[in-house]
Amino acid sequence: MTFAQALFMGLLQGATELFPVSSLGHSVIIPSLLHWKFKQSDPTFLPFLVLLHLGTAGALLVLYRDQWLAITRGFFTAAVRGRITTPPERLAMLLLTGTIPAGILGVFFETRIKSLFASPHVAAVFLVVNGFLMLGFELLRRRAERRAALDSKPRAEQEQGFAEAERISFVAAALVGACQALAFLPGISRSGVTIGGGLLAGLRHQEAARFSFLLATPIIAAAGLVEVPQLFASGVPVGEYIAGALLSGAAAYVSARFLLRYFRSGRLDPYGWYCVAAGLLSLGLLALNL
Amino acid sequence: MKSTPIAIGFVILAVVFFVVAALYATGVLQILSSGSGVHIKHAILFAVLAVASLIAANFTRQRAV
Repeated sequence: MTFAQALFMGLLQGATELFPVSSLGHSVIIPSLLHWKFKQSDPTFLPFLVLLHLGTAGALLVLYRDQWLAITRGFFTAAVRGRITTPPERLAMLLLTGTIPAGILGVFFETRIKSLFASPHVAAVFLVVNGFLMLGFELLRRRAERRAALDSKPRAEQEQGFAEAERISFVAAALVGACQALAFLPGISRSGVTIGGGLLAGLRHQEAARFSFLLATPIIAAAGLVEVPQLFASGVPVGEYIAGALLSGAAAYVSARFLLRYFRSGRLDPYGWYCVAAGLLSLGLLALNL
Repeated sequence: MKSTPIAIGFVILAVVFFVVAALYATGVLQILSSGSGVHIKHAILFAVLAVASLIAANFTRQRAV
């Protein structure tokens, strides 16, 4: 992998990890479309992915540093006391509840599923599926808005009719967490399915995005930290990889800020249509071998 | 849902999870893992499950008023 390719992959990973468009799908499809020769099955590629994920997790930790402090404090307080009394304590326990199913499924099935479906054609198909999922989430959300007689109101008011992340039920938090396993399929977006799950659980768009980003941080950081020893294997171009990771972190930070602002009134539809179009276009290009 | 038997159940579960975590960490247990050797990810997962079980036990135990 050249220095320019490392930077491009870092930018791509950081930008697409938090957007509901599947970073894994893009990182499988785009290098293939560009006829880049580096192999993602190469042993030195894993440390690169590790660093990119640590970059993303670092960006999320910086973005939510105050909340993470409150959540950490709330976690220990509630765990020792055996009772939840404040919103940060509840959020801490919700995140633990959501992280457990994701962790179980990740540890036992992630590698197998990813290796089964790691082809650009499959990723393109799942990207289309991801698009329809996003559109489906919004369809169901619009129904919920009609049921609550919010459909004729301005978007900001519609969003006020839904809940904050701290109000989600523990069962819903576990289900949203388990939804992250769908993202082992290249083309299915982790943030997309968790934001969608949050919407189905009755959260505001912005709160669903916040819950999704908070839920992602421990898993991404832990998965990255566990693989850190791989960085010290011989033949790993650490300098290039760190540059890619820094760019990934910067892109993730900007993406998260943009998305939180966007979801004040925005919906998942544009990302859904993008995924359908990008998936179909990729399938066409791959079929023509251009 | 406060109940002493449920709390005891969670404590037993925590002990089981800690043992499984130790077995994965030492490479004794190889179930549902790829390749042989030490499985740090599996060990961390079961350690987290053990801690979560202890927290659940603390939440469900009955307290003297």
